Amino acid sequence: MANVLWLQGGACSGNTMSFLNAQEPTVCDLISDFGINLLWHPSLGMELGSNLQQLLRDCILGNIPLDILVFEGTVVNAPNGTGEWNRFADRPMKEWLSDLSKAANFVVAVGDCATWGGIPATAPNPTQSQGLQFLKRQEGGFLGKDFRSKSGLPVINIPGCPAHPDWITQILVAIATGRIGDITLDELHRPQTFFKSFTQTGCTRNIHFAYKATAAEFGQRRGCLFYDLGCRGPMTHSSCNRILWNRVSSKTRAGMPCLGCTEPEFPFFDLKPGTVFKTQTLMGTPKELPPGIKAKDYALLTVAAKNAAPNWTEEDIFTV
Amino acid sequence: MTTQTLDISPVGRVEGDLDVRVEIEDGYVVNAWTQAELFRGFEVILRGKDPQAGLIVTPRICGICGASHLSCASWALDTAWGTEVPRNAILARNLGQIVESLQSIPRYFYGLYAIDLTNKKYQNSPFYEEATRRFAAFTGKSYEIGVTISGSPVQIYALLGGQWPHSSYMVPGGVMCAPTLTDVTRAWSILEYFRTNWIEPVWLGCSLERYEQIKTYDDFMAWIDESPNHANSDLGFYWRMGLDIGLDKYGAGVGKYMTWGYLPHEDKYQKPTIEGRNAATIMKSGVYDSFSDTHTLMEHTFARENTIHSWYDEGTENIHPFDRTTQPSPKNTKDFNNAYSWATAVSHIEYGRLETGPFARQMVAGGKHGESWQHYDGFILSMFKAMGGASIHLRQLGRMHELVKLYRQAEHCLREFRLNDPWYIKPQEKDGRGWGATEAARGALCHWVELEGGKIKNYQVVAPTTWNVGPRDSQGIRGPIEEALVGTPIYDPTDPVEVGHVARSFDSCLVCTVHAHDRKTGEELARFRTA
Ligand code: SF4
Ligand code: SF4
Repeated sequence: MANVLWLQGGACSGNTMSFLNAQEPTVCDLISDFGINLLWHPSLGMELGSNLQQLLRDCILGNIPLDILVFEGTVVNAPNGTGEWNRFADRPMKEWLSDLSKAANFVVAVGDCATWGGIPATAPNPTQSQGLQFLKRQEGGFLGKDFRSKSGLPVINIPGCPAHPDWITQILVAIATGRIGDITLDELHRPQTFFKSFTQTGCTRNIHFAYKATAAEFGQRRGCLFYDLGCRGPMTHSSCNRILWNRVSSKTRAGMPCLGCTEPEFPFFDLKPGTVFKTQTLMGTPKELPPGIKAKDYALLTVAAKNAAPNWTEEDIFTV
Repeated sequence: MTTQTLDISPVGRVEGDLDVRVEIEDGYVVNAWTQAELFRGFEVILRGKDPQAGLIVTPRICGICGASHLSCASWALDTAWGTEVPRNAILARNLGQIVESLQSIPRYFYGLYAIDLTNKKYQNSPFYEEATRRFAAFTGKSYEIGVTISGSPVQIYALLGGQWPHSSYMVPGGVMCAPTLTDVTRAWSILEYFRTNWIEPVWLGCSLERYEQIKTYDDFMAWIDESPNHANSDLGFYWRMGLDIGLDKYGAGVGKYMTWGYLPHEDKYQKPTIEGRNAATIMKSGVYDSFSDTHTLMEHTFARENTIHSWYDEGTENIHPFDRTTQPSPKNTKDFNNAYSWATAVSHIEYGRLETGPFARQMVAGGKHGESWQHYDGFILSMFKAMGGASIHLRQLGRMHELVKLYRQAEHCLREFRLNDPWYIKPQEKDGRGWGATEAARGALCHWVELEGGKIKNYQVVAPTTWNVGPRDSQGIRGPIEEALVGTPIYDPTDPVEVGHVARSFDSCLVCTVHAHDRKTGEELARFRTA
């Protein structure tokens, strides 16, 4: 039995919607088969008004044990650090959060907003938003660099805009089944089991990437999206193409460039003019290369790959 | 007379942040204020950004209707850039939007709304035990099927855009995808699965074809009596229980309804313009005024926003959204005589405050205005007239009625794709103004964009909930949900489930908050209406 409280700050509910798409386990399975007891959730909880306020106070006082606090959305600090622009249950959300995070065994940040600040924290960050333990790549965030929940772990960051349902449910199952001891977090507090490999791992366009065959325009049934359309698959840590979305596809499989949404810099280049769906290049070469490769080696590879490219790389491969 | 004030914070199970204050006399709500309690500043963020930034940012305004935002964002750029959109792309955008709504309908009905039928208030209803068996959170038989299966329509979205929520596969000039035969056949199978596992056996208790024969109030009543399968389907059961517990008795609202129209026709909107849109959507736009029983077309030029009761420092005048500047007030104290919400009061220059949403769409669908080839459906309007007006119950029926029609439109898209034709035509970027609109599951949505010097000068969004949940306007007139709350009976002020029913019947896209404190002022207030 694990009591879960799920709250939303500066959120769009996208992570909740993603969570509701979960399969193996479904949200209902999670509750009936894994002993997850959802104390309250903004879209699913039964209590309203003062009854909910009482429940929150009971969690803070320890009258109700709080095993897992899940937070979706940014921590809104505006105006002037008061948090009044995001009031919840008659109080700034950030005040609830600071009390509840002390009472929780595990604190889980779900989605880019709760992990790094996400879209709301994009310049000029009008809501003075932060993530729970980071703001973009900078450690600290709302709870501070040294925050540890009662279990001794920092905030477990499950980024993504939104987070994949498996990333959420499997962390909850790991906690509920006593397996959380196996978790390894990277320097950004992301569980490595999901975020060590790249988005590119498993992309069906990989073969075009290898031969430097580009999809220069949208709506194509061939080509890699890296060279012209700004795909961040080689530089982004996620398992999107291994586990797939909605069990059927991924952005890059469908022809949409990866936006790199699991990385703290999302949305990249602060969406400045000329940066959306366009590869940033320097004299024809992508400015950003897959991590670890040297520009000189990349140039050699390009020449070799282009020479070696078979004819079919220019034909529709995902055919009618 | 004693007035009791209930501040409920939060109402919950409405998406987004909303506080509702109600004043109660003799057990009935006599006055109400709805408050949106979260500001995220997307319009502020978009200023000065890449013209296409809206395609990434605006779906994140709302994770529930991201496809609708994406659709608005791309049509807005299409009109600003003067693009050509291939017919395949129009169909692919429509399909994405439709499946998002097909997801939303059961998810909303079971997840957000029907759970309240298990409230102890209804324990004396002969339907109560069965309602608990079906609708109890997480364990109810229908709850579990409904919430779980709601994930399947958006698998089709993922086939087109890679994932739901938050894909940006719609772009000016078309779509990023080029689905293959297997994508189309899988999509058919997913639709079939949704129909044969939920719509027909659980929701309707009959075939789509039988349900489609219902055209009037009498047809519907006859359908319920025709077979125990109909009466005991979730639709039949919900309808009968709702009448038993009086859901048809309150929650009427403003009696005037609007929709932007939606689903641009694949052959009639390939060179999209703002002016040409009304004649090009399959589901027609319009306003229905129930007081004069008239239908008229809706135009974006009719929309006005007012911020006098909102936390923005933008004056007191009604302005067109193109002219808004989005200046949040640094201080957002609650002051029910002045500003009390982040939502704005949206109105129509002539008709004033309007309700939007699936029920509103059906009221407009019953009009003979618009083009001869556009969709017409008089069923919900017939129910409205036979039952003497709107209510929570009818609002629900309107929402659920759309299901079958959307299903048919999804089939249409899959049939019409021409797999070897183009999906995208590269446009020329240029400065200018654009407008994109659609209907999200929960109502009218539109984006206004102004591009200058190759970047966004102004981006304005009016979401369905802005229409419905808006505060009072410059004349002190209540917003649609505020108005719908008036006349609501409150059985137990410590558990005002009826306030929840009304707020949730609009499927507002807010995380609503309603605080409870008593204020026994003895203040005499006019009773506006009891249901
Ligand atoms: S489309 Fe993106 S993820 Fe796929 S191979 Fe190319 S760069 Fe990698
Ligand atoms: S493919 Fe990229 S942008 Fe899409 S969800 Fe995965 S990490 Fe995010």
